[in-house]
Amino acid sequence: MSLLHIAIIAPFLFALTVPFFYKKISSIHTGWFVLVLPAVLFVYLLTFIPTMASGEVITHMLNWVPSLGINFNIHLDGLALLFALLITGIGTLVVLYSIFYLDKNKESLHNFYFYLLMFMGAMLGVVLSGNLMVLYVFWELTSLSSALLIGYWYNREKSRYGAQKSMLITVSGGFAMLAGFSLLYVMTGTFTITEIIAQADVIAQSSLFIPAMLLVLAGAFTKSAQFPFHIWLPDAMEAPTPVSAYLHSATMVKAGIYLVARLSPVFSGSSEWFWLVSGFGLFTLLWGSFNAVRQTDLKSILAYSTISQLGMIMSMLGVGSAAAFYGYKAGFTAATIAAIFHLINHSTFKGSLFMVAGIVDHETGTRDIRKLGGLMTIMPITFTISVIGAFSMAGIYPFNGFLSKELFLESMLHATDITSFNMQSLGILFPVVAWVASVFTFVYSMILVFKTFRGKYQPEKLEKKPHEAPIGMLIPPIVLASLVVFFGFFPNVLSNTIIEPAVKAIYPASLTGIESFDIHFSAWHGFNYPPLYMTLTIIAVGILMYLTLAKWQKIYAFLRLHKKDPINYIYDGFLDKLVSGSAKVTNLQMTGLLRDYFVYMNVFLIALAFYTLYHFNAFAIDTTNVAPIPIYVWILVGIVAAAALAVPFINNRVAAIISVGFVGFLVALFFVMFRAPDLALTQLLVETVTTALFLLCFYHLPELRKEKSKPTFKWVNLFISLGVGSLVTTMALSAMAFGNKKPFESISNYFIENSHDLGGGDNVVNVILVDFRGMDTMLEILVLGIAALGVVTLIKLRMNGKEDV
Amino acid sequence: MSNFLTLPILLPMFIGTILIFLAKKHRIQRVIAGISSIALLIVAIYLAYAVYQSPDQIITLEVGDWSAPFGIVLVADMFATMMVILSSIVGAVCLFFAFKTIHSDREKFYFYPFYFYLLTGVNGAFLTGDIFNLFVFFEVMLISSYVLIVHGGTGYQLRESFKYVVMNMVASAFFLVALAYLYATTGTLNMAHLGERVAELGQEGILNGVAIIFLFVFGAKGALFPLYFWLPKSYYGPPAAISALFGGLLTKVGIYAIIRTFTLIFVHNPSFTHTIILYLAAGTMFFGVLGAVSQFDFKRILSFHIISQVGYMAMGLGVFSPLAIAGAIYYIAHHIIVKSALFLFAGATEKITGTTDLKKMGGLLKTHPWLGWLFFISAMSLAGIPPLSGFFSKFALILSAVQEQEYFIVAVALIVGVLTLFSMMKIFMYAFWREPTIKEEDINKKEMFGLLRPIIPLVVLTIGLGFLAEPIFTYSLGVADQILDPTNYIQAVLGK
Repeated sequence: MSLLHIAIIAPFLFALTVPFFYKKISSIHTGWFVLVLPAVLFVYLLTFIPTMASGEVITHMLNWVPSLGINFNIHLDGLALLFALLITGIGTLVVLYSIFYLDKNKESLHNFYFYLLMFMGAMLGVVLSGNLMVLYVFWELTSLSSALLIGYWYNREKSRYGAQKSMLITVSGGFAMLAGFSLLYVMTGTFTITEIIAQADVIAQSSLFIPAMLLVLAGAFTKSAQFPFHIWLPDAMEAPTPVSAYLHSATMVKAGIYLVARLSPVFSGSSEWFWLVSGFGLFTLLWGSFNAVRQTDLKSILAYSTISQLGMIMSMLGVGSAAAFYGYKAGFTAATIAAIFHLINHSTFKGSLFMVAGIVDHETGTRDIRKLGGLMTIMPITFTISVIGAFSMAGIYPFNGFLSKELFLESMLHATDITSFNMQSLGILFPVVAWVASVFTFVYSMILVFKTFRGKYQPEKLEKKPHEAPIGMLIPPIVLASLVVFFGFFPNVLSNTIIEPAVKAIYPASLTGIESFDIHFSAWHGFNYPPLYMTLTIIAVGILMYLTLAKWQKIYAFLRLHKKDPINYIYDGFLDKLVSGSAKVTNLQMTGLLRDYFVYMNVFLIALAFYTLYHFNAFAIDTTNVAPIPIYVWILVGIVAAAALAVPFINNRVAAIISVGFVGFLVALFFVMFRAPDLALTQLLVETVTTALFLLCFYHLPELRKEKSKPTFKWVNLFISLGVGSLVTTMALSAMAFGNKKPFESISNYFIENSHDLGGGDNVVNVILVDFRGMDTMLEILVLGIAALGVVTLIKLRMNGKEDV
Repeated sequence: MSNFLTLPILLPMFIGTILIFLAKKHRIQRVIAGISSIALLIVAIYLAYAVYQSPDQIITLEVGDWSAPFGIVLVADMFATMMVILSSIVGAVCLFFAFKTIHSDREKFYFYPFYFYLLTGVNGAFLTGDIFNLFVFFEVMLISSYVLIVHGGTGYQLRESFKYVVMNMVASAFFLVALAYLYATTGTLNMAHLGERVAELGQEGILNGVAIIFLFVFGAKGALFPLYFWLPKSYYGPPAAISALFGGLLTKVGIYAIIRTFTLIFVHNPSFTHTIILYLAAGTMFFGVLGAVSQFDFKRILSFHIISQVGYMAMGLGVFSPLAIAGAIYYIAHHIIVKSALFLFAGATEKITGTTDLKKMGGLLKTHPWLGWLFFISAMSLAGIPPLSGFFSKFALILSAVQEQEYFIVAVALIVGVLTLFSMMKIFMYAFWREPTIKEEDINKKEMFGLLRPIIPLVVLTIGLGFLAEPIFTYSLGVADQILDPTNYIQAVLGK
């Protein structure tokens, strides 16, 4: 157990103490206590930067379930550290923000911080695990805590809907991922990530390569809200805004990106990986940005924006995977570098924008841009922050988003140089989609700022009288906005400290032979730089489109996108059908009618057993050991059969009972003939008592009516009785024939030989019952006793079902 | 030492009998019953420990000193003793829950005797090494279950119990028929001896048919597809303590018998028999969970889930590798604990809200947070969310199926996992989220903790079985190795 292990476990342990703080020290906002933890962890993790920059990797082993290959190993490299810093850094800011966002008297803070800390620990676990299964464990815990946070205001219908949706989608993806990890295990014999990467060529040769890839990507895409799994993210906005800022833009939704990056060394180089990752990424980018424009809720805009940006990062990782094919030349690795850089930038500007949305909501009581407007003068600081965040997102100089957006455009242009994977014909799509999506990104960034802060101030539509937010709520977004500016001017602070170590995790030297990547960001590349012109046209067209928004917005209604995302129809329809369909299936079998149940069970038995006999060619009749059958036995058999057959046709109850009793008494006669007097006596007794009981109950029974049933009903009955009867008979005959040939003696000989000497009795059956197998007899007596006691209870104890539970 | 083997059977039998005579004095009954259930647990643990420490990890007892294969033999191996521990745990927990919930009229009408007789039958079924004796223990268990399931005699109970009884009687009749075939073909009833002789005969011809009849019989007891029809409605009727005991334990006796017979006796045509089991497992999982998805009643959802989870255990046997069997063993342990806990939560919730209809509940997380969170942990464990016990057991099964390239069953298991999560979320969202239906002043904290106290050990166990997965899994692998190598068992019984 190392300090890093403790860093992962600490949030969980701390979470357990949260209810205590909430209950016992209620005068102080619980958030203040919680704040300490991410801050300490952040500082602790910062100390690893030099180590990582020098190219080292820190691993710690801790056995957990070694017999299943699950070990809690820590693997800290550049990629892991980057994520861990985001988790704890933004975590600190979000907790600080939440202290002012959530009222300590009205909210269930113990629940909130419990979930939040649980998430923090789980997310740290995801990025620091060196074992895929441990990663999976934490992965599911992030889904769980996310769902709990979305459902935090659980009395709201929408919160519950959003929680369920996110849980179902992300956990389903998780289960697929679990299957994918299992396939990787089958191929490599390990869950340790580094060992799996070391066997990348073995995996690439395997027929399970593609299935494993698809299943792993299902996990990554659901988590990172890639189309068509993105639909949970807009509904996740029901969570309190600090949660949206933290989980649903900065950290958890990037877990899928983390996974793709982490497993890139295993899968990249294949055209499937290239196309899936970049294709889904690009389409998500386009879909998200296009749909963000039509939203009217600030957080919905941000949600679709997040979807779009996640798609963008994903597509860069996809294009970057081509490097594995082309020998890691600078042109292809640039996409991956841009992905990592943009991942950091996105966390900063999107985090600040979410916090701004939260402030606006908190101060005005609404997030609807149709009601908002003119807040610039009332909330100048908030306005400034939002300008910085939104302009960065739109890709405007001098903010950090500009730099990574240009790199993105550059790498998409570069993708057209790829000569394999069918890129000669389709490659042109990459820069085109990137350009179109960037225009929409520009438009919604402008909507975000100007519809909220400019335009007409409409106080009558607001629930509260707005004013600037308290300073505590402003500090976190100010910090993030400052970073946006700072990284915009000094991007190279990150390049060798954070980004290069992260890239090295995606392109490990063991596979590429490259010891270091020379990363240098700059805002100006001269005039001979196509992305510059793309950026300029994006801004120009973007402004034009923003100004003419009212004119072309009808297109959404035309495309049927104006009410909800069309994928939602599929999801909602599926859930409805699931419940109604399963009710149908269940009611079809669970009819409550005993007769139906017996039809199913017996048809199953008859079919399966006869098939088995047929399959093993087990039918046999062996008459060698059969005694001669005298004529009177034949007659008796005939009478028994006739009496039994008569029962279903008798419409008089007394006659039916007598007929049944008749069969029983004749069976007793058989026992007599086969010299088993004690059995015959028992049988006689049983028959007498049964018949007497029948007659006793007679008085209470309703009149016997002739059954009115369809012929098919009776035919099915006949078929089943014949089927079961012939099955039992065939098997009995075959078993006897088989037994006749068996090479060993039956144990009964032992009883016959020893009953006198060892058992002290000449009646073998008696000795078996009371001595050799006395335990059976004792237990059968117990059964009778229980039955007797049960009858008493049944008669005497009458409850109405409401007395107890 | 080996006489000790009879204690898990004789102790509950004697206690049950003593309690009959104290029927009208329910306080004394409770004291005796409570102490005995703990004693039974201690006995079970000690027995498991003794078996684990013994050289072959098997202890046998020839009852009445009649040597095997002629007399009845009791066999305690790792699998059997583990099951006895589980039955004792659940037996004790449900009993203490019964103290808090059941009406004194029930106590006066031999509730506790029936309860202990049921445990007699269950423990005996685990420990016996004789297949006819297994039939007899099944009878003890079933007759007690018939009485317990109809105990109270409401109209609903009478109607559903009748079906329960009739279907089980038919299955028992086939059990007897199958025994006759088996005896006719092999000439013995001792399970070790059967294993030896069926191996010698190469499990040819009719023996496979006999195997199928046994599968039918035990499948009907264990609620496999398509033989589970008796279960969902009959488990709804009796009091929660009984539903919990039955839900946790009874179907698992059927599964235990399937695993025992299909690892010890009918193991020579796995490509036929175990493939059938695998398909039945898929059907069981799938149709069971669909039932759960369609319901909006706390207890009914849980009842259908029993079926779907029995499918997972059968899946382990169907895949038939050491890892798969170990997964099934682990799953049984997990399931018995979690399922009983969930039924008890349903009972506690019913006691608090007066209903099991989810649509009539709401906001319990606000009014009864402890109940809510303890339920949530158990529900997530059932759905296979890590790091609880349900995850590791399911994972072992899935990994083994992937290894054996049974991808079809992997897909079914994962889809069923999602649907399980869906229906567990449904309970949580309806009963524990939403606006509270109970007023602040009506909350009775003392009553709630009284109800929760017996369940807490089960919740602790499901957490423990998850975090301490290594020792549990090592033990499960030990069990799997032991039952997959029948020679060990045969030698221990027949002494050759």
